[in-house]
Amino acid sequence: MDMTIEGGRTLNTIKTLKPLGGSLLALSVALATQNAQAASDAEAIIQNNCLACHTQEGEQAWSRISHQRKTPEGWLMTIARMQVMHGLQISDEDRRTLVKYLADRQGLAPSETEGARYALERRLNTSESFDSQAFTEMCARCHSGARVKLQRRPASEWEHLVHFHLGQWPTTEFQALARDRDWLELALNEMVPELAQTLPMDSNAWNDWQQQPEAPVAGSWTLAGHMPGKGMFHARMEVEPVSGEDQYALSLNGQYEDGTSLRGDGQAVVYTGYEWRANIEIDGQVMRQVFALQDGQLSGRMFLRDKDEVGADVVAARDVSGKSEILALQPAYIKAGTEAEISIVGTGLKGLPVLGSGVDVVEVISESPDLIRVRARAAKDASGVMVPSVGQAEGGRFAVYDRIDRVKVVPEFAVARIGGNGSSTPRVEARFEAEAWAAGADGQSGTADDYRIGFVPATWSVAPFDAVAEADRDVHFAGRMNSNTGVFTPAAAGPNPERRMMTNNAGNLKVQARVQDGLQTFNAEGQMIVTVQRWNNPPIP
Amino acid sequence: MMNTKRLTSLMPTAALVLGTALTGSVLAKGPALEEGHEYMVVANYPNNMHVIDLQTDSLYKSCELPDAFGPGVTQMAPDGKTAYILNNHYEDIYGVNLDNCEVTFHASMSLQKNERTKSIFSFAISADGEELYAVQNPTMLYRDHYRVQPSRLAVYDTGSGLDAKPVRTFPSPRQVTVMQTGEDGTLYMAGAEIYKVDASSGEIDVAIPGRSWERPLYAPPDVLNAWPIQSPSKDFTILYTTARFQDESYDLNTADWIYGFMNVDLETGETQTTDFGPITEIYFSGILSPKDPNIVFGVLNRLAKYDIEKQELIGAAELDHSYYCIAMNHDGSKVYLAGTFNDVAIYDADSLEKLGNIQLPGGDMAISTSQVFIR
Repeated sequence: MDMTIEGGRTLNTIKTLKPLGGSLLALSVALATQNAQAASDAEAIIQNNCLACHTQEGEQAWSRISHQRKTPEGWLMTIARMQVMHGLQISDEDRRTLVKYLADRQGLAPSETEGARYALERRLNTSESFDSQAFTEMCARCHSGARVKLQRRPASEWEHLVHFHLGQWPTTEFQALARDRDWLELALNEMVPELAQTLPMDSNAWNDWQQQPEAPVAGSWTLAGHMPGKGMFHARMEVEPVSGEDQYALSLNGQYEDGTSLRGDGQAVVYTGYEWRANIEIDGQVMRQVFALQDGQLSGRMFLRDKDEVGADVVAARDVSGKSEILALQPAYIKAGTEAEISIVGTGLKGLPVLGSGVDVVEVISESPDLIRVRARAAKDASGVMVPSVGQAEGGRFAVYDRIDRVKVVPEFAVARIGGNGSSTPRVEARFEAEAWAAGADGQSGTADDYRIGFVPATWSVAPFDAVAEADRDVHFAGRMNSNTGVFTPAAAGPNPERRMMTNNAGNLKVQARVQDGLQTFNAEGQMIVTVQRWNNPPIP
Repeated sequence: MMNTKRLTSLMPTAALVLGTALTGSVLAKGPALEEGHEYMVVANYPNNMHVIDLQTDSLYKSCELPDAFGPGVTQMAPDGKTAYILNNHYEDIYGVNLDNCEVTFHASMSLQKNERTKSIFSFAISADGEELYAVQNPTMLYRDHYRVQPSRLAVYDTGSGLDAKPVRTFPSPRQVTVMQTGEDGTLYMAGAEIYKVDASSGEIDVAIPGRSWERPLYAPPDVLNAWPIQSPSKDFTILYTTARFQDESYDLNTADWIYGFMNVDLETGETQTTDFGPITEIYFSGILSPKDPNIVFGVLNRLAKYDIEKQELIGAAELDHSYYCIAMNHDGSKVYLAGTFNDVAIYDADSLEKLGNIQLPGGDMAISTSQVFIR
């Protein structure tokens, strides 16, 4: 089953909407008509496909369906579950229509997704931590806590969810952290009220959000991003409305810091007024954008749809006449007493670039509204975190350091997964970066004035994490680390007759980064578990 | 005139069906078991029940089972002739006559329309073989929602054939897993506690406190139990892990981590809760030695042997791969390891030396229970 919301097959088949009179007014009228059409289409789909089981409760209200709010991915998973478990027959196109309709009418306000967006953005190395031990042990024991945090229901619906869980997976109450307690009683009488209170169906945030005017999307955007294992990039993205509610055609044109191009076309849908989801075909691979549109910016993650550990943090701003904005500096640091080429990425950039005290712009190499390239020189005694400016625009972050104090491996803990070898699941890489920190004005490490310099080049290796890993030769069996890029490629899946007890190529490894700063060498360490395949891999983990 | 084209097109299908039936009946005609002989039964994917001859440590015969595999929990009838198996995704119990591979008993755990009921390893046979007990966990599947129903203890007459319905049902605590019956007819069920049930009245008592145990400075036990092993020594043995604190500060950092077992002597009804050693590795199942009650074995990634009194590991064998379910022959000389893959490994109970493997036709045994019995 195609488990992306918009699907990947229509990528190059979008028909551009031809506005009747060519005027913006005509366009907006056409779009409004489409919206009404889409809503009645969705309602017809519900009437025809869902009412074998769900009960009509009102004009636009149905049992279960109308009493939950979710993200687009959440609604997709619900409908997909109806297909997989309950025999629902629905076309991909109708499903897309339904997801859009439900996410728009019963979505989450942006503030309601805060702190849980990592799950939508497929940041699968996130180590979750919740205040509620009951929640951690009851919900986040089997799937991400974010999956729950990205839903809103009244108590009656949370109660249905408990019954569904135990009915569908009867061993739930027999597993560790369940079999030692009266699981069903706790789930119904303690967890349900807690969820209904912390994740309620009715919220001011949602009521307020629905009153917000629609934010403009069409136009030209500048993107700034950073992809572990590959580096920084900047790009321009043209966004044009096309036929279909909140649908857009995109073209992306940019460049990585190593000079390789980042170019492709695709399509986007905006759900719930801010949930930007796009698929862009780049060099024959689909990259997915999961962004939130807020305060005129798009931010989130762009990743390979079919290999989602490969992705970039992205922030983007739209060209607005008279508005000037700095998105990022690339690189965002300079060593005191040296010269470097720095790119300032933004929109509407106009005026003199200033990088901060003690940093001189020696030369403006090139200049355009979205990219200014300069040669900068940092004075020997310059130090600290600067807020650069270009003309009236202030923003971005620029670190000046005299020496590195310490280096951290990011992420500190990661999971790679064996795969391939004829199995249904591909390998999942792990990607590491070395993050340099400065000691700050006091020269003392670990004090409040320490500041982050940024990601610096490193030489990478792995080592056994402990004696067991050494005895089992995990370094040999679990995969290979690319010493230049920090990208770890795990080994093949399946039992390995060469290993003790024929086990698979799992491993427990130290991830080691060596960073050279002048004559000084820094070593940093993280941990990586190379483990078995994630067999069940829904859009929200 | 006869449509020859149509007839021909039907023929391969008919032949195929016939062929399948023949293969089945040939397999089913394997030799009957021999009286007084010692055997082991175990199930594996896709739908096999194997009988291993423990005199020769070789595969004796294989029976085909109906429906889907899993979990493959087995219980032998006291006459050593009928093997019962919980299968079909935890939803059905079948009785198989091992002499001729015929299915003689079948009970669907679901008792009504729109009910989906699973037994989580939880069934046992009465000491006289007349009754089968199953703890069932029903869920009502309504049109647009599910409702979990209270668990129940269902009692079946083992003579009720292929559409067996309970002769009695009683309320049961939730979270019940493995079960065994005592010689006196008492039904023991492992759940939050080891319960003691009068299967005629449904009255439930605690035989051995588990979650509610009051052992000073001990944390409540954690119990994983998927293998209702019918041991030659007639012991119902449940492994637990726990922590014993140094003092009333209940500091987990300085606590001792302990393995132990709860045991019901099924002949006498005597119970015990006994620590047998520190936790150094995990065991999925364990068994008391039939020839030395001071010895307990555990298995998962190693076969380990403990002196219970001394609370000391006295031997361990490295294994070719993980095994889940442990069994021993009646004289206590050999240990049989089953579960995962499709080979049974045999170890000398004294030296822990490996004696060999028995390869089984078919696939993974997964979490099937192996049972040693005498016909």
